[in-house]
Amino acid sequence: MAIVGLSATDVTDRLKGRLGTNFISAEMTHPDTLRIEIDKRAVRAAADLLANEIEARFMVSTGTDKRPLTGDYGITHIFSLDKEHMYILVDCSVDPQDAQIDSITTIIPGANWSEREFRDAVGVHPDGHPDPRRLLLADDWPEGVYPLRRDFPYDYRPPASPEARPALLDPPPGASVVPVGPFFPVLEEPSYWRLFVEGETIVGCDYRGFYNHRGIEKLGDSELTYNEIPYLAERICGICGFIHSTCYCQAVENAAGIEAPRRARYIRTIMLELERIHSHLLWLGIAGHIIGFDTVLMQTWRIREPVMWLCEEISGNRKTYGMNTIGGMRRDIPDNLKPKLLDVLKPVEKEALAVRDAIIGDSTLLLRTKGVGILTNEWAKKICVVGPTARGSGVAIDARIDHPYAAYDEVPPNICVHDEGDNWARVLVRVEELIDSIRMVREGLEKMPGGPILAEIEEAIPPGRIGVSVVEAPRGEAIHYVLTGGDNRPYRWRVRAPTYPNLQAIPAMIAQQQIADVPITLGSIDPCFSCTERVEAVDVKTKQVKVYSHEDLVKMSREKTRADSGEAL
Amino acid sequence: MNSNTIITIGLCALNAGVVLFLSPLYEGIMRKLRAAIHSRKGPPITQPYLDILKLLGKEDLRTARGVIYGMAPALALASVLVLALLVPMGGAPPLGFSGDVIVVLYVAAMSAVLVMLTAYGSASPYAFIGGSREMMMLLTVEPVLAVALVVGALKAGTLATGGIATWQIHHGPTISMTIAGIAFFLALQAQAGKLPFDIAEADQEIMGGPLVEQSGPRLALFKWTSWAKQLVFTFLLVNVFIPWPRLGILAADLGLSMVKALVALIVVALIDVVNPRLRIDQSMHYFARLAIASLAAVAFAVIGM
Repeated sequence: MAIVGLSATDVTDRLKGRLGTNFISAEMTHPDTLRIEIDKRAVRAAADLLANEIEARFMVSTGTDKRPLTGDYGITHIFSLDKEHMYILVDCSVDPQDAQIDSITTIIPGANWSEREFRDAVGVHPDGHPDPRRLLLADDWPEGVYPLRRDFPYDYRPPASPEARPALLDPPPGASVVPVGPFFPVLEEPSYWRLFVEGETIVGCDYRGFYNHRGIEKLGDSELTYNEIPYLAERICGICGFIHSTCYCQAVENAAGIEAPRRARYIRTIMLELERIHSHLLWLGIAGHIIGFDTVLMQTWRIREPVMWLCEEISGNRKTYGMNTIGGMRRDIPDNLKPKLLDVLKPVEKEALAVRDAIIGDSTLLLRTKGVGILTNEWAKKICVVGPTARGSGVAIDARIDHPYAAYDEVPPNICVHDEGDNWARVLVRVEELIDSIRMVREGLEKMPGGPILAEIEEAIPPGRIGVSVVEAPRGEAIHYVLTGGDNRPYRWRVRAPTYPNLQAIPAMIAQQQIADVPITLGSIDPCFSCTERVEAVDVKTKQVKVYSHEDLVKMSREKTRADSGEAL
Repeated sequence: MNSNTIITIGLCALNAGVVLFLSPLYEGIMRKLRAAIHSRKGPPITQPYLDILKLLGKEDLRTARGVIYGMAPALALASVLVLALLVPMGGAPPLGFSGDVIVVLYVAAMSAVLVMLTAYGSASPYAFIGGSREMMMLLTVEPVLAVALVVGALKAGTLATGGIATWQIHHGPTISMTIAGIAFFLALQAQAGKLPFDIAEADQEIMGGPLVEQSGPRLALFKWTSWAKQLVFTFLLVNVFIPWPRLGILAADLGLSMVKALVALIVVALIDVVNPRLRIDQSMHYFARLAIASLAAVAFAVIGM
């Protein structure tokens, strides 16, 4: 049972009671952010209390190289108390001489990737982790080189070690391997799934991703300045770019105590909802395409076009608007544009409703999605999934309600929850949200107050402040964590896109399903790999269980050329 | 060489020619229709011809050796052309004989079997899955076709396709033949590899399945095979189950059956465009039920209705 109405003092007291002398300190870094410092030996006890007794939801972990500041590495596990609208940051210091910390994945399965990521990036080993394979570093990245350490230059290129191989799991006896990816028709980005199948039934799977990691966080805290980062943040994702720039700006605003003006908050809300509308329409089309229903694809993308036009009218661009900056907006929505925007929304709404009715009435579609790719409520909570994936499994979380930001306090969303946990439930959640978002854009435009769109910032942002912000992206909650630095840039900027937790739920969703159900199930979380993956590509092509490296392929290809030219001669 | 042989050869050439050269056009029309429903402009209706020409001009790349693997595309197309000679189009089937219904059923399965062999030979996991799906489809769709033709054979008292068609022209619609015709039409959707039954190819799941490793001239022949096959089966449907009216003039009857075939294929395209793909198990259940339902037609035929 979740304890409702828990205050920060309650949480602090209970942690103090449980941890005893391992509890070090507690402070409110922001009215909604409780930071608790504990001894690293007590991290499991703290995670157990927070996750299992207080029922705080694990969000993400961050590793920070704080050696220049304190001489230690810092590991921060971020939790959310959704009902209490509060973030809890559990901070541990890790001595570089003993760079390890107890893994909490055994308690919270959803912490799996987060812990592997701080091991790869900062070099703090999660002790007792059930699957300590590499996550984000390329397979030929040398051991012992950690890109997010402060002494690692952002443009350093370690020597290649082509003999390196991805650590792949072996299929269970009797099962064969069907590769999905790294390049696959319905996955618009590289992501490599190995399905272990018996006949057409999936008995297990393995995942290797992060082919698109671009080192964005490293650039943010070594090269760019506070005001440059929003443009980089916007390029994390091609669909929900505005979400990341908003989320970053809010995190810095929270850290520095800057309040964006009301009008700016309304503009953010309107743009965020416009992104949700076009993203959900895009997703509906792709979902249709995945199950061979191209009519849905073509029609939803046609309906989507006017929304893209709206974005262009407002910002000058269909995507990547460049409107956000710390303290507000760089570009206003002129009042004389309002009637035009409302006019365009009308047919969009009418057609979206028609699509909804057509989809809900389609029996073949129902046959392909109902009861398929089930994520139970229990597993949804364990893996800490977010967004429509969570809401389709009866987990009623929505960052717009749980941690209100922008103008969502005045333009509240209707939360759409379905309990079945199957692909159909996720379709329904998104279709309902699509209709609701159209209403919210309209409401936002009507209620938008006048006034400035950018807060005056007179003082420099002080170092050592912490800011956490979430934004409900179409795919779920995006989190940005900022620890401010002294040289006009963050000391640490951590980004977690919604696909990061949602992808971790896929093995549970496709177990015992048919091969035919894999693409639509993968599609049902609306995966966005480039968001999830922020370092460089590897060239390893795998076929069955035999692995060819880039070198092998080049060699084979050259031999083939030689043989062919020999024949010709 | 007597005049009969010359006429037969002429009819053979006519049937094979019609199937070869008309089938890409019909595919083009179906694509255009699909595009219209998608709110797209779509490719020109001659696109399938251009596709074949383009592919025939490309390098012949093979992922496997072997006689059967090498000849499969040509054999597949040839098997469909042989089938065309056993099917009534304008007049009687050129090579029809008293028992050809059984041969029709066997020859009809040949192209699918060749596609399967190609799939298993090409050593790609996707092709392998596609091949096994192709087999499952064949095993469930074929009985429906068989039952539908058996109904005709029972009614007409002959195992000749042409005989069944002639009987149908003279006797008009009956309950049993109508049910059998509907069952045959539903199976046609699968024979044509159209949605919701394009499960063996399933681009989005297994990247084109059995033909994933095929390219160039081999792919051209396989594509041509599948278009020709869908047309031959449509001719079989319209000339055996709905052959009225028969004018008795070859050119007119041929023209009429081409028009009817086009209408039937347009319906196939419409079904294709408003449906998502079924899963293989769902499709097998569907055809199993359809086969059982079509047995009702046999019962009606036995009691003379």
